[in-house]
Formats: sequence, structure tokens, C-alpha cells
Amino acid sequence: MTSTRSASLFALALLAPALVYILIIVAYPLFDTIVLSFTNAALRPTYDWVGWANYERIFGAGNFTEVIIRTFIWTFFSVALKMIIGMCGAVLLNAAIPGQTLFRVLTMPPWIVPMAIGIFMWGWMYNGQFGMISGLLQNFGLTNGPVAWLAYGHTAFWATIVTDVWIGVPMVTIYFLAAMQSIPKDLYEAAWTDGAGRFYRWRRITLPLMLPAILTMSLLSLIATFNSLDIIWILTQGGPSGSTTTMIIDTYKTAMGSRKYGEGAARAVVICIFVSIFCLVYFRAVRKLSQGEAK
Amino acid sequence: MSQLSLKHLEKSFNEARIIKGIDLEVSHGEFVVFVGPSGCGKSTLLRMIAGLEDVTEGEIAIGGKVVNDLPPVQRGIAMVFQSYALYPHMTVYENIAFPLRVEKLPNAEVEKRVMAAAKVLQLEPRLQHRPGMLSGGQRQRVAIGRAIVRQPEIFLFDEPLSNLDAALRSEMRIELMELHKRLGSTMIYVTHDQVEAMTMADKIVVLDAGTISQIGSPLQLYHKPDNLFVAGFIGSPKMNFIAGTVSSADGTTIAVDMGKLGTITLPRSAKVGAGQAVTVGIRPEHLQLGEGDFTLSITPRIVEHLGIHTVIYSTLPGGENFIGLFEGDPKVSDEAPVTLGFARDQVHLFDGAGQAVY
Repeated sequence: MTSTRSASLFALALLAPALVYILIIVAYPLFDTIVLSFTNAALRPTYDWVGWANYERIFGAGNFTEVIIRTFIWTFFSVALKMIIGMCGAVLLNAAIPGQTLFRVLTMPPWIVPMAIGIFMWGWMYNGQFGMISGLLQNFGLTNGPVAWLAYGHTAFWATIVTDVWIGVPMVTIYFLAAMQSIPKDLYEAAWTDGAGRFYRWRRITLPLMLPAILTMSLLSLIATFNSLDIIWILTQGGPSGSTTTMIIDTYKTAMGSRKYGEGAARAVVICIFVSIFCLVYFRAVRKLSQGEAK
Repeated sequence: MSQLSLKHLEKSFNEARIIKGIDLEVSHGEFVVFVGPSGCGKSTLLRMIAGLEDVTEGEIAIGGKVVNDLPPVQRGIAMVFQSYALYPHMTVYENIAFPLRVEKLPNAEVEKRVMAAAKVLQLEPRLQHRPGMLSGGQRQRVAIGRAIVRQPEIFLFDEPLSNLDAALRSEMRIELMELHKRLGSTMIYVTHDQVEAMTMADKIVVLDAGTISQIGSPLQLYHKPDNLFVAGFIGSPKMNFIAGTVSSADGTTIAVDMGKLGTITLPRSAKVGAGQAVTVGIRPEHLQLGEGDFTLSITPRIVEHLGIHTVIYSTLPGGENFIGLFEGDPKVSDEAPVTLGFARDQVHLFDGAGQAVY
């Protein structure tokens, strides 16, 4: 009895620093944001309780729904491209090709280069007058004149996605490569002995066995992309004309640009609800997968 | 015509020569066991036959056709891996059906063949389970099932029982032998366990450092080992070796001086010069308590009483370990000297190069 109690006390002592950390860094700000979202807090010393007014305003205004839809489209394409390119990269890096180590090293720069520097570099590449992309397209005669990629709504939308994909792909590739390498080699040898070709082996062995890794990476990438502020902020600040304004940019602009802390908090709470739903779906899917394996 | 023929087969990984010129003929329906210690190249040889390793030099022919450059599926082989290599995300049914799905056979044919294999291997109640829910023996059967449905000319087994416990191993050994009888197919089986080799094989191929030490039936290898390596490898407990020197040889007998143990005269017609170093070999089970053509006195260090057998371990004056195996439960105890004897015709003799002298 005593030993059980001392064991749980010891466990509690070990957990204490992490608990304190989570309470201060995660729980308190979250609680405070929820409280703030029901107030009219702004750049004034005091604020009043306004009930659901902030939520009514943001959902009543019309453009918030548009922002939500844009965020989902932006996130969907960015995550999907990261997963597809990451998977192709992992398959290539896993193949026994000459110079394999060199290629593995070459995957890393987008991850190693400080994010802000990488984004500025892309900003320059997208520049209409001095940018490399516009210059190359003109040299090859693919465009008639300079194209300022960040100056038009639809091109800016895709340009920010491309930059986000560039930054996100190395992590996905390395993660998928690790998952791929943990699949026993003899499964492939057995399949090859039975006459299964490369694509058949990938479809019936690699892909199903990597499903947990794909699910995990998709969720992590989904949350990071959904909350991605720096790429869009540095490249377009949500413009032109709001064409790259995602929910996080919208929240930042409301809270920090317009100093409407209460309304900004309400927008942040909506983001938080969406992310929580993603997590719930993920945990359900993982549970279903592990139940399937146990059968 | 033999079903499988290996000619001057060689395999090198970079500078390392793993298989050093193997010649072997296997007839249809034979159960051939490749046996040898770890690193002798037996698994590499099997993988070369399967088509999982390239051939550096030489020729592999199956059914008279050279298959060096053919992929495994076109060689008419099916392989059972040491780890079973079952697909963890598929049911037992889908695991067994995998090769047939690759072949794109119609569902009705797939079901027919899978059910037939499941019946032979008693896997019917397990068909909808995943490998994670099966015992080691059942997984082994699924792996065999996957090989059976392809109806191959040759089955290749790479140490298939090494992951099972001792009781299950002997059970599966019998199942495999029965399967061989039922199917009548050629089977090539790799193991490091000489008991498996002795009990299952029609023909044993003993490998040592990438070369064939001896090919023969289990009893040939037991009674007439070609060299010291085979003599030491086949048989459990292993053969006792005593170093000696030829004191005289007259064309019909050879007298070997074994130092403090005395001189033994063996009936041998081989020409061996006096003074040559030789090794005398005697199997532990050929020793008797107190009688025989030749006797020696030893003091057991350890005595093992197994009921059916008694095993004694001792050290000879020359420092060699010496083991005796006796039926039943004779009166021997450790640290109490005993006299052991053996018959002259049970003794093996090997020359300085380790080759048997007859």
C-alpha cells in the first residue's frame, strides 16, 4: 500500500514540471482567450462582457465564411501536395540508386535554411521585374512579359502554397522514408518471389503499412498548415485584396492590426475548434486502424 | 535428368567470396538439406537459387533451363522465409492468396486453391485472422500455404523452424516431412541444425566456408564422414577427437600412438607414413562402460542423467574434451574414475589435412 502511494507520488513529482509548464503556457492562455472572446477588449484600459456579440459579428459579416473556405482550400492543396511530393521523394530516396546519400542530404536545405530567409528568397523569385521565375519563363518564351506572381489574387494564392510546400516537404519526406525503412525487407522479397512488380508491391505492401505514418503526418501537417502565419504574412500579408487571407492571418489582422482583441480572440477560438475536430478525427482513425490490425 | 543443377556456382560481395564453386545435382522429388554453421553461405546459396541474389559466376539450371537471369517468379520456385514474411495488414486468406492475386487468377480459382491449401495445413478456422493473432506454428503454416498455392516445381525453405520453440519445432518437422510425402515436390531446406538435417533429408549437403564439405544421405554422413569438419558437425553430442601420431602402417593396419592413452591399431589399407600427425575420432554413443577392443580410463567432470541417456563430460590427458553417451542410467558419478571401451571398427581416422583415412 505504502509502496503504491510512494510510487504514485514519485510519478507525480516527475510529471510536475511538465504539468506546470502546460498550465502556464497552454491552459492559461487558452482559457484567457476564450474569456476574452466574450468581451469587447481593445486598446483601452477596461473592457466589458459582450456575450456572443463577437461571434455574431464575425459570422454575420459574410467575409469570415469566405475566409474559412479559402483557408480550407489553401490547407487542402498545401497538405495534399506535401504528402504526394513527400511520398514520391521517400520512394526515390529509398530506392537503391547511386548517390543515394547525396540526394538524402540535398533534401534538407528547405528545412535547414531559417524559415524567414527561405520565404524572402521565394519573395524575390516571385518578383516580376527581378525574379528568377518570371525571368526564366520569359527566356523560354513561355510568357510575353514579366509576371509579378504576388500581385494578382489567383497567382499569389498558388505562390504562397508553393512556398509552404517547399518548406514542408523535407520533413514529410524524411518521416515517410523512416516509416518506409521500418517495413521488413523480406516482405518485398516474398512479394517479388511471387511475381509482384514494383508498383504492385508499393500499392499492396508499402502504402497499407505506411497508413499510420501517413495519417500522423497528415494531421501534423494539417495543423501546422492551418495555423501557418509567417509564409503568407511575409509574402503577401494576406493580399492582394484578401486573396491569401487565411483564418490565422485574419485573426492576426483583427487582433494586432485593428487592435480588436476581443473579436480577434473569438476568431482564434474558432480556429481552435477546427483544429480540435481534426485531432478527434485523427484519433478515431488511428483507433480504427489499430483495431483492424488486432482482428 | 536432374531437376536442379548447379555448376561451378560462385558468389562474391565486393571482395568477399561467399560461395566458392559449388556443383550440385538435385533430382525430382528429393528432400535436400543444406546444413552448415553460421556464415557458411547456405542461405546465400538458397537465395541464389531463388533468384534473390545475382550469380557472380557459374550456372543454375532448373528443369534443364538456365535460369541465371530469370526473375524468381519465372523459375518455378516458391520460398518460405525464416521470418515467414507474412503481410501483417492482410488476413490469412489474403496472405495465402497473394501470389494468385499477382497472377490475376479469377476469384473462384483463388478460392479453390486457398481453401485446398488451408485444408492441408489445417488453417480453415484461421482464414479471416491476421498474422498478429496467430501462434508461431500457425504463421509458419500460412507461409507454407502461400508457397503451396503457386504449385511450384521446387520449394525453398530458409531456416523455417528456427523461430519456433523446441517442442513445436519437432512437431513442424514431422508436418513438413508429411507434406513432402503428400506433394512429392522437390524441397531444398536450409538449416544450421544438424538434427533437422538428419531427420528430414534424403540428401544432406554440408557446407563449410562457401564450399561443399560432403554430399550424402544422413547415414552416409554419420557412418562415413569424409573429413573432420563433417565428422564434428554431424552427430550430437559431437564426435570425440584425440590427437595422435602414426607409429607404424603395413598396408592392412595402422597403429596410432595417442600418448598417455596408449597405442591403438586400426584396420586401414591406406598408405600413411610413420610419424605423420593424425586424429582419431570416436562418437560418444559408441563408447561402452568397461569393455571394448580398446579401453581408457577417465574421470567425469560433469554427469548428466536424462533418464533415457546418461552423458559424461571429461578431459583427456592431452587437454581434449571427451564426451560419453550411455543408454539408461548406469552407475557413474562425477569425480569417480571409470573405464570406457570401444570397438575398433567404430573408430574414425583422419590425416593431417583432416581427410578421412580408410
